Amino acid sequence: MSEITASHHLAEGTRATTPLLRRLSSLQPVRFLIIGGSIAILLALIAYPLALLAGYSFIDAHGNLTFDTFQKAFARRGMWQATLNSGWLVLFVTVGACALGVPLAWIVTRTDAPGKALITLSAGISFVIPTFISVISWIFLAAPNSGYLNRFAVEYLGFSAAPLNIMSFGGLVFIEIVGVYPLVFFAVSAALNNIDASHEQAARVLGAGRLRTTLTVTLPLVRPAILSAVILVMLDALSSFGAPAAIGTMANFSVITTKIYDLLKFPPQFNYAAAVAMPILIVTAISLLIQKYAIRTENFRTLTGKATPEQITRLGRWRWLAGGFCLVVAFGTAILPVGALVLLSLLSSFGAPISIGNLVTKHYGLIFDEDFVARASIIHSMLLALATATVCATLGLVLGWVVERFRFFGRELISFLVMIAYGFPSIAYAVGILMGYVDLFYGTLTLILIAYAGKLLPIAFVLVRNGIQQLSTDLEEAARISGAGWLRSIKDVTFPLVRGAVGIAWVLVFSLSLRELSMSAILAQSDTQVMPTVVLQFIEDGAVELAAALAVIIVAVSLSMLGLIRLFTRKKTAAVS
Amino acid sequence: MSLPSPTPRFTPPPQVADRPRLELRNLRKRLGDTAAVNGIDLSVAPGESVVLLGPSGCGKTTTLRMVAGFLQPDGGEIHLDGVVASTSAFALPPEKRQLGMVFQSYAVWPHRTVAENVGYGLEVAGKKKTEIEAGVAEVLDLVQLSALAKRYPAELSGGQQQRVALARALATKPSLLLLDEPLSNLDASLREEMRFELRALQKSIGLTTLYVTHDQDEALVLADRIVVMNKGRIEQVGTPEEVYRTPASRFVGSFVGIANLLEGEVDAVDRAAGKVRIALDAGDRLWSRAPARWLADAAPGSRATVLLRPEDFRLEQPQVPDQETGIDVSFLSESFLGSHYELKLQAGTTPLRVQSRRRGSFVDGRTRLWARPGSAWVVA
Repeated sequence: MSEITASHHLAEGTRATTPLLRRLSSLQPVRFLIIGGSIAILLALIAYPLALLAGYSFIDAHGNLTFDTFQKAFARRGMWQATLNSGWLVLFVTVGACALGVPLAWIVTRTDAPGKALITLSAGISFVIPTFISVISWIFLAAPNSGYLNRFAVEYLGFSAAPLNIMSFGGLVFIEIVGVYPLVFFAVSAALNNIDASHEQAARVLGAGRLRTTLTVTLPLVRPAILSAVILVMLDALSSFGAPAAIGTMANFSVITTKIYDLLKFPPQFNYAAAVAMPILIVTAISLLIQKYAIRTENFRTLTGKATPEQITRLGRWRWLAGGFCLVVAFGTAILPVGALVLLSLLSSFGAPISIGNLVTKHYGLIFDEDFVARASIIHSMLLALATATVCATLGLVLGWVVERFRFFGRELISFLVMIAYGFPSIAYAVGILMGYVDLFYGTLTLILIAYAGKLLPIAFVLVRNGIQQLSTDLEEAARISGAGWLRSIKDVTFPLVRGAVGIAWVLVFSLSLRELSMSAILAQSDTQVMPTVVLQFIEDGAVELAAALAVIIVAVSLSMLGLIRLFTRKKTAAVS
Repeated sequence: MSLPSPTPRFTPPPQVADRPRLELRNLRKRLGDTAAVNGIDLSVAPGESVVLLGPSGCGKTTTLRMVAGFLQPDGGEIHLDGVVASTSAFALPPEKRQLGMVFQSYAVWPHRTVAENVGYGLEVAGKKKTEIEAGVAEVLDLVQLSALAKRYPAELSGGQQQRVALARALATKPSLLLLDEPLSNLDASLREEMRFELRALQKSIGLTTLYVTHDQDEALVLADRIVVMNKGRIEQVGTPEEVYRTPASRFVGSFVGIANLLEGEVDAVDRAAGKVRIALDAGDRLWSRAPARWLADAAPGSRATVLLRPEDFRLEQPQVPDQETGIDVSFLSESFLGSHYELKLQAGTTPLRVQSRRRGSFVDGRTRLWARPGSAWVVA
């Protein structure tokens, strides 16, 4: 921004000398350009592909509004079965995740059961490991004949046939539940922790027993949290692609997302793919509306606090049963799969007996081999993660600022657009990106970057916006009145004060880009493979040892990046009024 | 804490004597559906301390934020040092206005030390490091914070942060200092102390200030002129004495200080002395001063309202009273407040608040009340 020496003119009062320059400065061109540019990018990233998606499914080749595409798309063989499968999957996964997550949350926050810390840790691990990776572990453990648990059962426990089969619809449900129950667990734990003890104490003082208090006070207070989590779980299950693709190929069934993937294989049928994605979109939109209107209004009731000793229930004899339950869950959902994954990546070949002599590093050797596809995919993934994280953190900062600080009609539209992208199923979004940008960026990493950035922007946006929300406007205004222009006030005041939130957003987006499969599967070409697509390829080709080795790398990098968050949060952050 | 030394070591910017520092011409701003500021004219002379006083929502902060450049007016003009700074079509950005501002929340940047906070304006202006250091040292000395220059705001008390905010606003030697309820976050005793300190500072360095508050005591201490605002308009502009003793409206009378309002009918008019005699509805007749404009239209038989401050009542008859019999009042309650008694009395149906050094004697719960001669004032 050009510094105009307004001081002189003000002091001398030579009014007529620089009216043009003064008028220009009142427009604040730098601010205008940066904000305008960010909004343009937002529209290109999100609004444009979504509009295309809707257009393709409702408009025929002659430009007329039609529902024909739907009819034809759903008349294809197996489409109704796939839709039905998706429905069952959502139902079972939601029920299962609640049945697992809610009791665990209560045990961890409100009882004296042993092994509580173990549950929080293993829920964290389940959350970090994407389902297409846990598929690898469970193939190792529970493949119909060769799974090591099955062999153990037949050889030592006297089973006549293999008891477990991960390559089935039931197996898929199990893997999805393990992947999403942490959402329920964390949301309900947080809510239970946040209920001020006085709410429950008030009921107790009025004569309600412990059970009655739980039913009439505690549960209603955490209901919004449970409902929000249920919606997230449903959307997650509905749009899940990795595990259904890996297991579906082997067990020969489809869900909506894998059907979309099939429709985009050569020759790609965009309009059918878009039409098939519509049910997912509609369910998503309805769920988000429910979330917005039914839950948000209730959510304000939760108050801040921390579970106090009076709120802890003593379980007595049941203590050990609860502890045992915790141990089983931790073992079955975290320890066993992670152990299996690492073991498999080191085992000379799947099926070989587990012994020191059979542990080798040749799979890792192959992964890093220069002539092999895996090495390039690691480089691609890293580059993409770096670029996506940087783009999202920057956009999140500018858009978060605009939405929090700017009074103009479009600010609601910005947060609406961003949140749409959040609820949008990845696979459908990728179809939109493909339709919108395939001509420009076919077979380049840029195409994948656009998809990653659009889909992960909401995470950065929400985090940074919350940070800015907590900053008093006065802090920036004080810089302006001291003589700093807009950009300078952002650089000197806003950014340093939300650096923690921006850093966390960067790391999270980085980790999530690294494991993104459903969009990558659609957008990656042979020259632009990324780690998750290669893992999926390995699974489908039966090279599970290689899949495991590459998966270990993804998980290790993700976990160590997430460890960086501690760095940002631990750093001395001064109190902000 | 002692008062700053009276010698003005801090030199204010050169000033042109006649031209107002700030001039508002028919300023208007709508916020949502309400006219937050509804046509304000005001000018602030160099070296003057003007206080905008009014209840919340009266438009005082909106006015201040328009002067600062954070809000753009919908109508009217703002002139700074004789140059247009805001109109409905044009707004000079805040950073180009050469102002200083102290915020209600202090807005001291938590990630910068005291010295870095205070020196920021000079840093942005592109001053050399040595100049910045000298400037920072000078203002920190002025607000007596030199010892804390290297500290972070989180390590300071509320009062100290307040001083940092003040020093930061002063460091660039602004032509006009804006203060937005700067003392409202301090505890009561500190707030009182800071009032006098701010006033002494303002006088000693000849600062021009526009100060926003809802606290009448603060306004009385700090102002050369008080601007009483209500519902987006100016009710009265005047010195603290004028505003307190001769309020232009009922609103001003009740907002600044405690007002006892007695209704009555004009019974005699003495234009030469600027007085009217009023037959009070509660009984008794009382001579009262009145505004000249009101007096011009006053005639026996017209209605009038008389304002009397609680400290202007007496329980004994003065030597030369303005009244005939004293107002017949009944006793409601009494509180002892150390320096005086606070009595709640009732004249007819009108409740009265009276401050008295003595307890007074009541017969059957009744007594006669006298106004201090020359204290009664007719409010329009």
